Amino acid sequence: MFGLDFSWLLDPTYQQWLLQGVLQTLELAALSSAFAIVIGLLGAFCLTFRLAWLDASIELFVELFRNTPPLLQMLFFYFTLTQIGFTTEDPVTGLQVPLISAFMSATVSLSLFGGALCIEAFRSGFDAVPKATLEAARSLGYTRWGLFRHVQVPIASRICLPPLTNVLTNLFKTTSQASVITVPELMYAAGQIYNDTFRTLEVMLLILVIYVVLVSLVVWLIGWVQRALAYPGYGA
Amino acid sequence: MSDVLYLKRKKQTRHAFLFIGLLILLFSMVTDRGGEWRQVWEKLPLLLTGSMHGWPLNGGFILNIFIGIASMAIATVLGLFLGLMMLAKRRWLSIPARAVMNFLRNAPWLVLLFSMLYLLPYRVEWLGFQFTLSPLFKAIVGLSLPTAANFAEVIRGAVNSVHSGQWESARSLGYSQWQIYRIVILPQALRRIIPGWMNLYALLAISTALATVTGVQEVVTLLRTTLATESEGSLVYFYVTVLLMFFCYCYPIALLARRLENQTKGDAI
Repeated sequence: MFGLDFSWLLDPTYQQWLLQGVLQTLELAALSSAFAIVIGLLGAFCLTFRLAWLDASIELFVELFRNTPPLLQMLFFYFTLTQIGFTTEDPVTGLQVPLISAFMSATVSLSLFGGALCIEAFRSGFDAVPKATLEAARSLGYTRWGLFRHVQVPIASRICLPPLTNVLTNLFKTTSQASVITVPELMYAAGQIYNDTFRTLEVMLLILVIYVVLVSLVVWLIGWVQRALAYPGYGA
Repeated sequence: MSDVLYLKRKKQTRHAFLFIGLLILLFSMVTDRGGEWRQVWEKLPLLLTGSMHGWPLNGGFILNIFIGIASMAIATVLGLFLGLMMLAKRRWLSIPARAVMNFLRNAPWLVLLFSMLYLLPYRVEWLGFQFTLSPLFKAIVGLSLPTAANFAEVIRGAVNSVHSGQWESARSLGYSQWQIYRIVILPQALRRIIPGWMNLYALLAISTALATVTGVQEVVTLLRTTLATESEGSLVYFYVTVLLMFFCYCYPIALLARRLENQTKGDAI
């Protein structure tokens, strides 16, 4: 096939590495997406208070994380968090190892990065909730939290699912950068395999295809959620 | 409380925050208890230009800016072709273009960059000349691919947002397909394309940090080699400095793009 040699794929060792890489990537993506959505919702809820200092600080947080490279953020969190000095004793070797692993720092870093993007996406959704609906709910005596939980979130979440798709796929793709801080995810596994087999081109092509398939799955999944939740008249 | 007043107060608060932040930064620089800022200051020319005395230019943040601009130039041309192909009426043009676009958009930037390192040959022969493809060139190409795909999508969205009546009236006046695009549609779509293009450039400028994996002497590479020789306490200071470099370069561009985008919002073309 085009002079490409995929025979290494039959080796169970490499299959194992690939599988572990995929699982680690999925775990990292799932965790950071969940935290990112929580951060996004928190930020959006804080914006309903309409307190200037709170809005300004949220804005600052968003802009800081959006306009700096996620790779640098990750390196920064990796070095600072593992340096803080929490160490535990490794039960196997008896050595002092940092309590916060590379995986945890990557999760923290990606959650904050994704959270910043989510706040932005949610804000656009919350702005699109019809003012009349909010006034009607207020006149019915909803509290601020009740209004948020029963009116704003149901409507806004449907409006902002398309931009949220962008955010979450972006986050999924950014997880590949965790390989730089030695998190053993898919990209890292790829590096291990081609260092072993010297089949760089084939490995990279395979990894590309795997990523595209995974991201397409994420897109499809959110599309499915969107169709399942669709209200007539709200959101696309 | 009216919206206008509130927005004004938010703006004032934002400025106050910025002012306080700058004050804190200045204060820590002036006192500089551990001497960390001094270390950063000594290495700053290296991080910015890649040489200890700021001249000659052989890397650092200047190189990041260069990579960004070169990639954007390639991506603009590629994206324009890809975008117009996607819009083509002919199936054999639009379907492959759409497939390529989706593939490039769904692949992580870092993986594409790595692939380019291995896909592009080290030596190319063209018209009898021998070219060696440097890692820098490969990094530029690798970053331009996903950008081109995103730009194609921006073009498609912008062209589709032009009112269909424009097409019909232009056709009834006897313009050819190409003329309609050139004279009627693209000039109107440009209003939407430009903010998208700028946003993309801001995104690309941030992503140039990824070029570190190709071993190019850009700012992240230099930062990591520098940190190996510096004291542990100064680590945070160095990171903050480099993060601020990116922020100061990208934020104004993103801000301007957003302003332009808000101007085009709601204008029925």
